[in-house]
Amino acid sequence: MEIPYTVSARPDTGLFNAKVGIWLFLASEVMLFGGLFSSYIFLRVGADYPWPIHELEVWPGFVNTMVLILSSLTVVMAWASLKLRKFGAYKLYMTITVLCAATFMGLKAYEYNKKFHHYSVKLTDGTILTGHLDKGYYIEFGEVTSLSLAFPKEKSPIGADVENYVLNFAEGTVPKFKTPGGQEIELNQQTVSELWHEANAKDQFSVELTAVAPLKFKVAPGDIFGYTTNTLSFRDGTVAKGKLLDDRMTLTVDGIDTRAVADEEKSLAWNKEYFGENWKKVFLARRDHAQEEFNKKYPKRNPEKSATLQKHREFWHIESADPQAGLPEGKEHAAEAKVPGAEEGHAAAGHEAGHGEGHDHPVVVLNKKDIKFFSNFTPKLNTFYAIYFTLTGLHGLHVIAGALVLLYFLLFNGKMLKTNPEHLANRVEVGGLFWHFVDLVWIFLFPLLYLL
Amino acid sequence: MADSAEEIHKSVKAFKKVLLALMILTVVTVLLSGVEMPTHGMNILVGMIVATIKASLVGLIFMHLAHERSTIYKVLVFTGVLALAIFLLTYWTHGNPLINPKFDSQSAEMMDHLKH
Repeated sequence: MEIPYTVSARPDTGLFNAKVGIWLFLASEVMLFGGLFSSYIFLRVGADYPWPIHELEVWPGFVNTMVLILSSLTVVMAWASLKLRKFGAYKLYMTITVLCAATFMGLKAYEYNKKFHHYSVKLTDGTILTGHLDKGYYIEFGEVTSLSLAFPKEKSPIGADVENYVLNFAEGTVPKFKTPGGQEIELNQQTVSELWHEANAKDQFSVELTAVAPLKFKVAPGDIFGYTTNTLSFRDGTVAKGKLLDDRMTLTVDGIDTRAVADEEKSLAWNKEYFGENWKKVFLARRDHAQEEFNKKYPKRNPEKSATLQKHREFWHIESADPQAGLPEGKEHAAEAKVPGAEEGHAAAGHEAGHGEGHDHPVVVLNKKDIKFFSNFTPKLNTFYAIYFTLTGLHGLHVIAGALVLLYFLLFNGKMLKTNPEHLANRVEVGGLFWHFVDLVWIFLFPLLYLL
Repeated sequence: MADSAEEIHKSVKAFKKVLLALMILTVVTVLLSGVEMPTHGMNILVGMIVATIKASLVGLIFMHLAHERSTIYKVLVFTGVLALAIFLLTYWTHGNPLINPKFDSQSAEMMDHLKH
């Protein structure tokens, strides 16, 4: 079947059909993104925490804006070149457009990847420490005396999966157990299956095994259901009895945020075992400096109402393991009198990380009881990152889709260049209209998420 | 819509000017975000105004909306009205007694006035 009006205009609309089609589609896209932008406003207005401002690294967003603007020009130039039958220029412009899309997604991947490896740890008093878990975060549980396996009566999706799941986290030698019957076994598919049948035959829902060889588990909090000082519960219902060895978190810190603390001078961060007095003194010097600068620059304004001042006062972006390096410019001497020697400053927050990213950052070992919540910078962290990933993720999908369509025209519509260039020009125009829309969305996203 | 070669040459010139304008406005946006305005809300307002100017340039010139057939404008009028409604939701919410507890007392006062 021949599709009508692909080249010439339909008399009643005055347009070729695909153009009416793409505009109807763009109209629905406006509603889709409109709804999400509206959600952004709702979340921001209703946020019960200081909305992150000037938090994202600006340069990738800025470069990506420039890249998308440039690609918007090249795609419209590709169309114009086609209209003028300059086929070489058309191919060049289309290629640049697709390369721009690839650059955009490359930078996006760089940004996302950084966030996936960056953590925010909220302490019980509201203090937020940001940084990296260079060695991960694991709970060590040892001196295991027994393992209780859960065997539901019916075949159920939830049931003991000891050999494939629980034992993955066991460290050291092959664990050996004694069954209630006194038999010494290793856990594998066969023995677990036998235990299950035996239990089912006796109408028992669990079997308690006694550990014969020393057994130790090392698990991430997400791998398990929960733990106490003497039990470790796995997600399949298996419970180990033993002793909690270590559940402290070693964090390489790159930021201290006290905006949600009632009194920043009493923040948990200044505890002796964490940052201690020397870091606190520098923090206070920075805070007072920010306040002075603000008062000097804007004497008539209410400092309580400035979100940026609040951030400068109470958020310390740490770039060195030495607290002294964080002193505001021109204040080094003044503060030196107050702050004792630098060596002492290291006593609390060690900087033994040595290699990798933590090289020039302080390291603190946090007690579990002080940690209220922790997450990497993903939607789970707060509503800002939730809407950030929703909006940029959906926009990224649009970039990919648009680039694929343009790439298809470039690679597979070569024959049309000779046979029916006007039809191809119309296709490129329609693909280009979508591409401009993608650029248009980013024009709003960049300032909203990165700058304001 | 530009169809003759001459008209296309003319619009190509316009495209390049728009590119330059968009790039300059992007730099302006970044610089303005560093300025401490009396309230942060003003920063947001100014940022959004600049973004709207940029979006208009893309729409009018790159997407040829400056010279388009009426069919498309008709479609866009509906979109515009509905999109506006979606944004007004954020404002209308303040009249929702679930979200704005003051709403109830305000309406109660109003009812009182009406009775007297």
